[in-house]
This record gives sequence, C-alpha cells and structure tokens, in this order.
Amino acid sequence: MKVLDVQNLNVQYHTEKGNFDAVSALSLSIEEGKITGLVGRSGCGKSTAVRAIMGISAENAEVEYENLSLDGEIPVPGHNIAMIFQDSQNCLNPSVKIGKQIAETVKNRRKCTRKEADKRALELLDLVGIRNPALRMKQYPFELSGGMRQRVVIAIALACDPRLIVADEPTTALDGAVQAQILGLLRKVVRETKTALLLVSHDLGVIASLCSRVYVMEKGQVVESGTAEEIFYSPEQEYTKQLIKNAGKMHFRTEKEKVKKEILLRTEHLTKEYHTKEGVRDLSFELYKGETFALVGESGSGKTTLARVLSGILKSDSGMIDDRSKNRAQMVFQDPYGALNPCLTVGQALEEAIRKTVPDPWLRRQKAEDILRLSGLRETVRNRYPRELSGGERQRAGIARALVCDPELLICDEAFSSLDASTRDGLLELFGTLQREQALTCLFISHDMKAVARISGRMGVLFRGELVETGRTRSVCTDPWHPYTKQLLLSMPAPDPLRAGRKKGILFREKSTELPGREGGAHRGCPFAENCPYAMDCCREETPDSYVFGERTVKCFLYSEEHSGRRAEGYKMTSQI
Amino acid sequence: MLRYTGKRIVTGILSLFVLATATFFLIHFMPGSPFQSGAVSQQVVDALEKEYGLSEPLISQYFSYMGNLLQGDLGISYTEPGTGVTEIIGRTWPLTASVGIAALLTAVITGTGLGILRAVTKHRAVKSVISAGEMLAAGIPGFAAAFLLLYVFSMKLKLLPVSGLLTPAHYVLPTVALALYPTAVICRLTGNSLETELRKEYVVFARMKGLSRSRTVLTHALKNAYLPVLRYLGPAMAYLLTGSFAVESIFNIPGLGREFVNSITNRDYTLILGLTVFMGTVVILANLLTDLLCAWLDPRTRRSISGDI
Repeated sequence: MKVLDVQNLNVQYHTEKGNFDAVSALSLSIEEGKITGLVGRSGCGKSTAVRAIMGISAENAEVEYENLSLDGEIPVPGHNIAMIFQDSQNCLNPSVKIGKQIAETVKNRRKCTRKEADKRALELLDLVGIRNPALRMKQYPFELSGGMRQRVVIAIALACDPRLIVADEPTTALDGAVQAQILGLLRKVVRETKTALLLVSHDLGVIASLCSRVYVMEKGQVVESGTAEEIFYSPEQEYTKQLIKNAGKMHFRTEKEKVKKEILLRTEHLTKEYHTKEGVRDLSFELYKGETFALVGESGSGKTTLARVLSGILKSDSGMIDDRSKNRAQMVFQDPYGALNPCLTVGQALEEAIRKTVPDPWLRRQKAEDILRLSGLRETVRNRYPRELSGGERQRAGIARALVCDPELLICDEAFSSLDASTRDGLLELFGTLQREQALTCLFISHDMKAVARISGRMGVLFRGELVETGRTRSVCTDPWHPYTKQLLLSMPAPDPLRAGRKKGILFREKSTELPGREGGAHRGCPFAENCPYAMDCCREETPDSYVFGERTVKCFLYSEEHSGRRAEGYKMTSQI
Repeated sequence: MLRYTGKRIVTGILSLFVLATATFFLIHFMPGSPFQSGAVSQQVVDALEKEYGLSEPLISQYFSYMGNLLQGDLGISYTEPGTGVTEIIGRTWPLTASVGIAALLTAVITGTGLGILRAVTKHRAVKSVISAGEMLAAGIPGFAAAFLLLYVFSMKLKLLPVSGLLTPAHYVLPTVALALYPTAVICRLTGNSLETELRKEYVVFARMKGLSRSRTVLTHALKNAYLPVLRYLGPAMAYLLTGSFAVESIFNIPGLGREFVNSITNRDYTLILGLTVFMGTVVILANLLTDLLCAWLDPRTRRSISGDI
C-alpha cells in the first residue's frame, strides 16, 4: 500500500543572485513498511526535497507540487511524519532529561496522561535497544554516547506514531561500529512497527544495506529509480554507475619511493588515564619523517587524548615521548570555528601565529599569503572573519593556521569529519598535495576508514586506549590481522544490497560498555576479549603483548608463540583470522 | 562544590574588610566633622570630639572600630545619640527591602515577558518598539525617571500619592522608578539569549516532534536561555541598593538609602560605615547565592556536584 505519494515537486530558491531550481519535477512514492532510499552526491537537492515534503522549507524557498499526500492527508510533522536528523548531538535539548523529551512527544501525540506517556517512553527506549531504560530516562543528553543519543532521537521519532519516518543522513556523523548498529536498529524498527522509512544519504553502502527501493538524484532531478537490486546490479545511467563505482572501493594512496626511516617522534608505554573515562594505555609507536600515520578507532577509544598528549596540551601519566622535531607540533581540530579567533580576520590570525618567529611585518604578510595560496584559499579570504567563510574554507583556514608555523608534525584530530562528502573530498585532495610538496609528517586521527586509506601510508588501530594493530595502511585494510580491525572493516556497509542484507553479527542492542571505562579500575585481559569471536581463556586473564612481524605489530594472543607454536627460521606470519 | 562555596565566603569576608577599611579612611579624610555646624563654637566641638574619641590618632580609632566590628558591634550613631547603628538598620531595612523586592519582581516579570515577545514576534514594529524602550529605560538615570513619574502621575494626573509608603498605591511610583533599569537589562538578556537559542537545531527538532510553538519556546528554549538572566540577579541586587539612595530621597521613604544619604551629609561616621558594611554583605551574599543557583540549574555542574544520578 502506498503511504506517501509525491507528484511533480518543484522547489525554487529565491536568492539575491536570482532564482534557482533546487528540485524539479520530483515524483516518488513510498510503500508501507518499506525502506526507500534517496541517494545522490551532497548538494544534489536531497535535503531540500525532503524538507519540502515535511513542510519545513526555508523562508526563501517556493514549493509547488501536483500532489503531496501521506495516506490522503497533508504531512504534518509530529503527527503522521517524523524526522531523524544527522546531528543527534544538537537535536536533543541539553537541559531536559531524555525521558521527558520522549514522554512529552508521546503526550502531545496521544493526549494521554503523564503516567501512560512515561510508560510508553520506557517501551520506546527498550525498542531502540537501550539498556537499563529506567535509568536512562533520568539522564541528560550529555551523559549519553553519540550512538545512544541517535537511538534516543529514533525513539522520539517513533513516539510520534508516524506513518513515515524521514531519516536525513542518520549515521553520517557516527563511527563505523555505531553506524552498523544504528542501521540494524532502523531495519528492526521498520519491521516491527510497519512504519515506512525514507532514508536520505550520500553513502551508497548505507542505502544498499537497508533500502528495498532506491531513487537516485542528480542536480535536483530523479535520474533513475528502481528496486535496490536493479539500481546496484544493473544501473542504466552513467551517473549511477559512477556513484556505485566510487562507493565500493577504498582508494589507497599510491606509494612513492620508500620513505627514509628517520624517526621524528617515538613513544614508549605512553599512558594517560582519567578516572572513569577514556584514556590511552601503554602506547608504543613511532612516526617517521615525512610519513602520514593514521589512527582509527571508534569514538571514546582515546584518539583525542593521544593527540593532546603528543601536542603537549595534556601531560602523560607515565611512559616516554621522544620528540625530535624542531618546532612544536601543530593541531588541526574538528571544529575550525571554535579553533579560530572570531575577532581576527584569517590573515590576522595567521600573522599573529608567527609574530615571534618572523619579526618583519612585510615578510609576515608575505608568508601568510603564501600559506593561504598553498591551502587553496582565494586571496580575498585574508580579510574575512571566520564566520564569513563556508565550512570547507574555514577548515582550510584552520590548516593554513597550523601550517604557517612551519611545523614538522601536524596532528589532525577528526579534521574532516564534520564536513559534507564533497567538501571532504576537496580537503583530502589538498592534503595529498601538501604531503607531496611539503614533506610534512602528519598524524591523521579519524574514524573514517575511507579517508584514512586515501591519505595515510601507515596506520594504527586503537581500541579502548590500546593500539591493537599497526602496519602499512594498504595491508591492514585489505588483510586485517587483529579481530577488532576485521570487525571495524566489516562494519563498513558495502554498496551491495544482497550481501549487506545478509550481514550477520551486528549488535542491535548497545553494548553494556558502550561508554568506555573499566569499572572498578582493575583491568584484566584483552580489552576486546568480550566481543571477540576468537577469544580464548588466556585473553580474559592476561593482556597480550605486541607481537612484531616486519612492519606489522599485533596485540593479540593469536600471534603468540604459545598459540601458533615455535616457528622455524624464516617463518612468515599470516593472518590468523 | 563545598570547597568552592568556602572559597567564595572567604573572599567575600576579605572584600568586606577592604570595603570597611577604604570607607573608614575616605570618610575621615572628608572635610568637616559630625559636630561642626554654624551654631556651635569650636570649644564645644572639641569637647564633643574628645568625648566620642574622635581626637585620638586616626589609626587607633581605626583599630578600635575594626575590633568592635569583629564583635558585631557597629557603634552608636552621632546624630541620633543613644541609638545604635544596628538599631537604625533594623528600623530602615524592611522598607528598602519591600520596595526593592517589589522592583525586582516587576523587573523579572516584565523584563522576561518583553524579552520573550521581542525574540518570538514576527512583527518588525513590535520588535523595534521593545528595543527602543529597552534603550530608553537603560539610558535614563533613576532619579530623572523618578522626577518624571512624580511630575506626570502625581502632580499633573493626581493619580498616585507623592511620598511615603502608607498604602499599596504609594509603592507604585518608587517601584517603577527603581525597576526601570533592571527591566531593560533583563529584557535585553532574555531577548538576545532566546534568539540565539531559537536558532538551534533542537528547537527545530522539538517542532518536528509536533510540539506547539509556544511550548517549544517556553519549555525548551527558555530553559537554556534563562541562565544569563539569572546570573544578572546578583548585580541587579547591587543596583537596587544604590538606586534606593535617589529614589528613597525623592519619595521620602525612610529606608536604608535615605538614611545613607543623610548620614553622609551629617558626617555620621559610624552610621556611614555601618550601612556600607551591611549593604556590602547583602550584595556579596546575593552574588554568591545567584552563582550557586546557576551552578545548580545547569545539569552538567549539578551532576558534578552531586556526583550521582
């Protein structure tokens, strides 16, 4: 049965520069209890289209349609249609308990008593897979992890008892493991509640793993539509083919001649722990001059802590850092807006940073201009304030601000994660150029495997503060040795509906330890043991050492001599999983 | 949190000490003395000064005053012989407090209401009128407003009484004159912070949940927007106390403010000091309480205080 029927939807924006059509002649229909995908590159008009359907278009948008009906009615948000946004962090009111945020929705929709609403809220929290819902009801959003907050947002959407849920990039801001959980949850919710779901995403893997029907959008128009199998296995349009071709593969950086093995920074048994929260333990690794070393891991695995310790913002509890670079390491942050002084123009900020090292104002200005050009920014950006820049420009300014100090080591902490896909591609491009031309050593911290694959030569995988595997990026990504690395790679949805639909082993319920932190402080065994399909008795008793095999190190008992036996001379270790 | 409160109390006591010291020396450096007037001969003045210990060296006077202050003894007024300063404060503060509290309530209610209206209204004219009113109310000095109100409502329209605090009607003009400035500030704070809050994503999300606009504003946005307003309540108390000097003198209300002004004209050293210390204590306490209240209202700091869920 058809739930939503849209015929000939047109959205036109009226701007100072004139009018332009964001969406033209869009028609789509959604079946009851089915997941329908709307896919396209960022900027193709997906979000504009769904906002028009929701009836929440911007003020300067003019919406026209031949037919727009949801079960024969007009869509009313909170009544028969509900929405899940990308950014669950900002969707929840920071000073209202989550129980109340769900219950008020129920109360508003069902006109029931407070008690009934609370009961329903509890049920909904349970439905979206949150453990101990009674406790969570009394918590504030800041006490929940990113994945849990997105679950709460889904619970609120369900509290509206909608006929259709619109999810606009619901997992883009989440890391791999959590993304897989949320996608599984969405599928389960649709199955159990018979609500229709319109999933909007630029990520074909996400679309493939959930949707039964797919619409492909380009420049405001639907260029192709059909069942998921039709779209993914026999696409007709060139645009769709391109999208699918780019989605599946990891693009590895072409390795140039071997980097000189000159150590720039080395850590030994570096430890920094907080009382209950994340931290890093016993990290030993080295950074070679001119290489890009990537660190991946889910949120809370201690990536940011490590970045702060290395840049000197935090002091380590124990362990050693041997930093041989001449200048202080520079950081590029996730939120460039917070990292740039709002009262200084970009040019001023750059010049301010080198006031001490370059005393001559003319040279200083010259240098700032050079760096801006290098960062791919227009001349005029120099006189702009951070608020006047677009997201991508601002992050470029943040990079320029770091580069102007001539650092030998650049630390990028989730630097591109908050940007949309096409902007991110541009910045990754810039990064490649910088690496080639500036011979910069870079520590690239991210949860995005694709970005890591694209720009790093070597990588390390962090899990709950421990470095479980390091090695060449290409070999780690194509041939993971540590069970956690394998899980991380598997959790990336592939643009292949049949395979994605069969994917097993994803947890639908949040893990009991989703917020990292070892209760009681006492730590025993491998941190991954409880989720590891290969776990042995010794994994729960002792912490494994790092076993080194050439360029690869693995922190797992599968690679110990006790497990694989004494090796003959010249034995070549391979993946044990 | 206990440590923080303790620290604030210690710094508060230190500020009081500095305040008392500075006031003590300032008033003694003022020309004239409590007993000087055209009708009294120099010999009488000298005799009186000797009796009250004013002929002693300043520094020993200072130490004896501070010693008494530490024991909670504010001394005896010079102009009302036999009456203790504590007694005068006890007699005057209820009047000042009643006008002050009335003014504070007026300011909070009207300021918040107008601020919300300014933030949510879609009519440009309403917005402009409120903004202009804010500017005017914040710009006009309290005493000028008091005279203006007196002139219009008491002299010309003869609607309200001129002076005293006998009936509720007597409260209207002094309260309005005193509340004008804090109303403007609260209105501006509420309006600005609510406007920022309304642009945030959770407001859009709350509307998407099906909540009405008024509910979204009142139960969601206002909750986050109101913290800066509460933070202003401490400074507002200080303003109300200083504002009472002019307002009480003009409306002839026998409260702390008028007493303070009179005590300065009379060079009543002990009374000036006593009132300064008293008002200082009130202002410091008010600031401490608002800070603690704000810390408590913010769930993040509250959780770090109580530590549990």
